[in-house]
Amino acid sequence: MYAQRLATARLLHRFNFGPTPGQYAELLQRGIGSAQTTVLDRGLVDPALDSVVAPVLADLGPYPAPNTPAATAFWSAIYRGNSELVTWWLDRMVVSNHPLAERMTWFWHGHFATSISGIEYPLPMQKQNNTLRKYALANFKDMARAMAVDGALNIWLNNNDNYIQSPNENLAREFMELFTLGVNKFTQHDVTAAARALTGYSTAPSNGTVTFNPKQHYAESLSVLGRKSKLNAASLASLIVSKEENRKFITDRVWFRFVSSSTTPPTTLARSFAGRDISSLVSTLVHSTAWSNPANSLVKSPVEWFVGACRALKVRPSTLSSGDLQWELSQMGQLPFNPPNVGGWPYGQAWLSGVAFQYRFELAQSVVAKGDLAPLAVPKSKMVQACADWLGVAEWSRRTASTLAAATGTPAEMAVAALLSPEYVVSA
Amino acid sequence: MINCEFDRRRFLQWTGASVFAALSTQMSLETLASAASSSPLPLATPILVLVTLYGGNDGLNTVVPFTDPTYQSVRSNIALSSSQVLPISDALAFNSSMPAIKALYTQNKVAIVQGVSYPNPSLSHFSSMAIWQSGSLADTVTSGWIGRWLDLQPHNPFNAIGIGSTLPPLLVGQKTVASMVGPSGIQLPWGPVASLLPRLGRSSSSDIPLEAAAASSITDLFSTARILGPLVTKSPTGSFLGQQLSLVSTLINANVPTRVWEVNLSSFDTHTGEQADQNALLSEVDAAIGTFMTSISAGARSNDVTVMIYSEFGRRVMSNASLGTDHGTSAPVILIGNTVKGGLYGEQPPLNALDVNGNLKVTTDFRDVYGGLLHDVLNIPVSDVIPSWKTALSVH
Repeated sequence: MYAQRLATARLLHRFNFGPTPGQYAELLQRGIGSAQTTVLDRGLVDPALDSVVAPVLADLGPYPAPNTPAATAFWSAIYRGNSELVTWWLDRMVVSNHPLAERMTWFWHGHFATSISGIEYPLPMQKQNNTLRKYALANFKDMARAMAVDGALNIWLNNNDNYIQSPNENLAREFMELFTLGVNKFTQHDVTAAARALTGYSTAPSNGTVTFNPKQHYAESLSVLGRKSKLNAASLASLIVSKEENRKFITDRVWFRFVSSSTTPPTTLARSFAGRDISSLVSTLVHSTAWSNPANSLVKSPVEWFVGACRALKVRPSTLSSGDLQWELSQMGQLPFNPPNVGGWPYGQAWLSGVAFQYRFELAQSVVAKGDLAPLAVPKSKMVQACADWLGVAEWSRRTASTLAAATGTPAEMAVAALLSPEYVVSA
Repeated sequence: MINCEFDRRRFLQWTGASVFAALSTQMSLETLASAASSSPLPLATPILVLVTLYGGNDGLNTVVPFTDPTYQSVRSNIALSSSQVLPISDALAFNSSMPAIKALYTQNKVAIVQGVSYPNPSLSHFSSMAIWQSGSLADTVTSGWIGRWLDLQPHNPFNAIGIGSTLPPLLVGQKTVASMVGPSGIQLPWGPVASLLPRLGRSSSSDIPLEAAAASSITDLFSTARILGPLVTKSPTGSFLGQQLSLVSTLINANVPTRVWEVNLSSFDTHTGEQADQNALLSEVDAAIGTFMTSISAGARSNDVTVMIYSEFGRRVMSNASLGTDHGTSAPVILIGNTVKGGLYGEQPPLNALDVNGNLKVTTDFRDVYGGLLHDVLNIPVSDVIPSWKTALSVH
């Protein structure tokens, strides 16, 4: 029984941002196979998701002169666009009835970690987000080819400053080290050559449109990863992704974020990624035996924790104070579209500081204040267990059970304490 | 254009956050915290303040070989002219954005250790910072060097404190971790639920290690808040690093029983437009350090504090066409304190004898610098923290 509760909770929290009210109890009744099918179900229609209106972001053009009325309007449009993007995406994560696609988009955002702090303009970030969503469960080779010419990523990693005579290595190095192959799987020579393959692309910062100028592209043959050929951004990406190391690297990264940062995947898992089909990898993982291994615990990242709370309490993030929400998430170190660096988000113990607890408390308070506490409307003697079944917690510790039992007269307080409990902050 | 930011929340392949079983046994943290407040750090106990610069600070434009013709020729588009530097010898000068540190150097309070890195330096931000923060070249070592020092101390959440919200790997041990304090201090939960929440910090026999760590962080927050809260109520002012160091000097002067502090600054990854960006960053470092040292020197712990400023690597000797530099290798480590014996240590790597990638050679191993600090400041043999490492470079 506990094993099924644990596995079902893990699947829901890790692939679907946590259960909606009643969902965990229902899937426990229907069995683990049903839970696997449910978290993988991408759905033909998702009216709730369709109800989230995407911000319409204008091309704001070049920076206006400072200290002019135009500048004031410009910077407030930038700020508003950034803010709308964050709440739009959080709303999608919360309301979706089939959240796997959003969950995978979130994973890829941390993988191809691009921060708006280096872009300023929200429009290229929105375009990148749509690209990540388009390929989130598609073929990784296609995704890598698209990301090699993604405007926001090109700006972020200085590819506008990459010239034939003097390559800027930033995009080339991180593309191989962080996005496709892993560290020490290429040489400095490969970096310089790959940087040459990425010359000739120029990105308009205000809209993220990438233009290819053949005259500024290195047209000679290049030797990259032991193969000599003429290369552009897309064919470079194809070449890199075709390497065997890519299969293991992406499999490891998915394992690291969905299963455990301290265990390693069985070698069989990478087989499911032989064709670079992401959905095949994810499906194999969901159906694997990983979920019964007690060692495969994770700390929910702040966004994953927050979205889970909103799903359980039926709160749309856009109904909260967007200033407070963004302040709290940024203080916890995870504001969407703002990863700390190209390496992506921290993980594990790093999220568990006392400082993070302060802001987790503030968020829990505001979500619970707006939230639907109906799942706790049961006799007092059943409230603590109902709370576990509602939030998708396999089992409360004696510590947490006794803490929650002290709040049976005040469901809102029980909910806040439950959301802050070690059992909810960690996906055991 | 803003360069990509690298800060301490940067570890893709590595943190030390794996083993926490021992945390679940720490039932008496509150007692320890109370004891800490009633038994402040004895005067004359040495204190270490680590300043981590994320992104790879360009050492050659920090401590500048300004009279070397090769320096001027291979990076002519970003080389600092003699009017943009503050000379400390015929050959070397500080970047002119560093007047406060230059003044401290003149008072013999600044040690510059030259050419610091490790054998076969990695050009990856992540691998290199993992090596610096773990104190080990082996990627199997998942604890930080200060974390391993913490493991050897009687547990007390005050032993080492980082400023910020996410733990840097260097502060994570195999058995215990440092505490974190936000730069704007501590705001404990409020309202009717607040009295319930400390109970969530108790350990429970069913806790897995991560749950035990989550519980421990709650207890540590309430413990440290009771002691530190009254000290850090004022709103922080100044730059990002200035706020962090201002908090640290306040707490040091309040006799908080902490031996190691960690602060950090990001965005040193100057692939483009380096001069303006790096000068601004160094200026922030310089002003923050200057204010910090003034505050420390005016207090009772004037002779107790040693500051170390370091980054994961220096940058390429030859600049690129976008007025920046790509990833490099060795760079100076700067140590500051009223009892530091100022001057130049180690050898400046020559600009005309580079490695195959056009990077500086390594003349000092960073573990020797750690060795000196472990011996002189934390008072333990280097090999207790860096197994089988014997040598140390003392600047005291």
